[in-house]
Amino acid sequence: MHPLYCEGLGLPAMTDDTGQALNRFLAEVERRAFRMAQMALRHDDDAMDAVQDAMLQLARRYGGRPQEQWRPLFFRILQNRIRDLQRRRTVRNRVMALLPWRQDDEDPPDPVADAPDMGPGPGEQVEGEAMLAALQAAVSRLPARQREAFLLRNMEGLDVAQTAAAMGCSDGSVKTHYFRAVQSLREQLGEYRT
Amino acid sequence: MSNDEQLDDFEARTRATLRAGSESLDGATRSRLARARATAVAQLAPRRRRWQLQLLAPAGALAAAMLLTVLFFGHDRGAPEVNPGSPAALYDMELLADADAFEISQEADLEFIEWAAAMAELESAGG
Repeated sequence: MHPLYCEGLGLPAMTDDTGQALNRFLAEVERRAFRMAQMALRHDDDAMDAVQDAMLQLARRYGGRPQEQWRPLFFRILQNRIRDLQRRRTVRNRVMALLPWRQDDEDPPDPVADAPDMGPGPGEQVEGEAMLAALQAAVSRLPARQREAFLLRNMEGLDVAQTAAAMGCSDGSVKTHYFRAVQSLREQLGEYRT
Repeated sequence: MSNDEQLDDFEARTRATLRAGSESLDGATRSRLARARATAVAQLAPRRRRWQLQLLAPAGALAAAMLLTVLFFGHDRGAPEVNPGSPAALYDMELLADADAFEISQEADLEFIEWAAAMAELESAGG
């Protein structure tokens, strides 16, 4: 019997091999996925929720799909979840703004927004954590679609077609968003180009 | 950026920086991610049960529908029941086998025929 088919039923089955493969796949992508969500949502708990939901949905709905489809599927789920959380947060902020007893200090700390903004400086060389903080802050300021295209293409290493599948748009749109994102980051991080 | 084009220096540096940043997550975050991953992988097991449920539920419904069909339509309540061993059934069989008796049974005034037959028996007994 083929290992991917239930005995006598001819239906796709979740074998131990599938579980191990899914575990390996998630372990390989989970940290980058968290960083993506963190840069988009600027909130660690929300980012963790988004990644966790994406993992669960991938396992529940698409665990039986061929493994080469997992990566674009996972990141599409993640991007959708991030957008949902952003919309929810926008609505919540509008409602809170209308409340007369709202306190201004209710907003949680924003580590990415609070990161130092590394403007161009004469001969300044920044490496390591400072470079990461500046880059994360700059990526966070990108428009959502540019940020998605840049992170999926650059950090995750998806090709154009996979990125288009993950973003739910055409190949041409991916190229446009990515090009604009890189241009914007070059302008913001000019001193890091060399 | 696997196959489509080469990264320029800036893109390569940003990629290396972002990837290094992803690997430098604190222990608590890594632990939460590992727990989330374990929870997700555990969701694969119920999926098999769901496959079976998806298959067995329609089969069960079909069996129930067939049972109800047999109960309601297989039992024809309009047709008379015939018990071959009962006296009435034997009488009916004799009536159908005897052509004269069948013709008599079709006469309108059956009481008169029975009375005439009884009188004929009395006369034969008396005479």
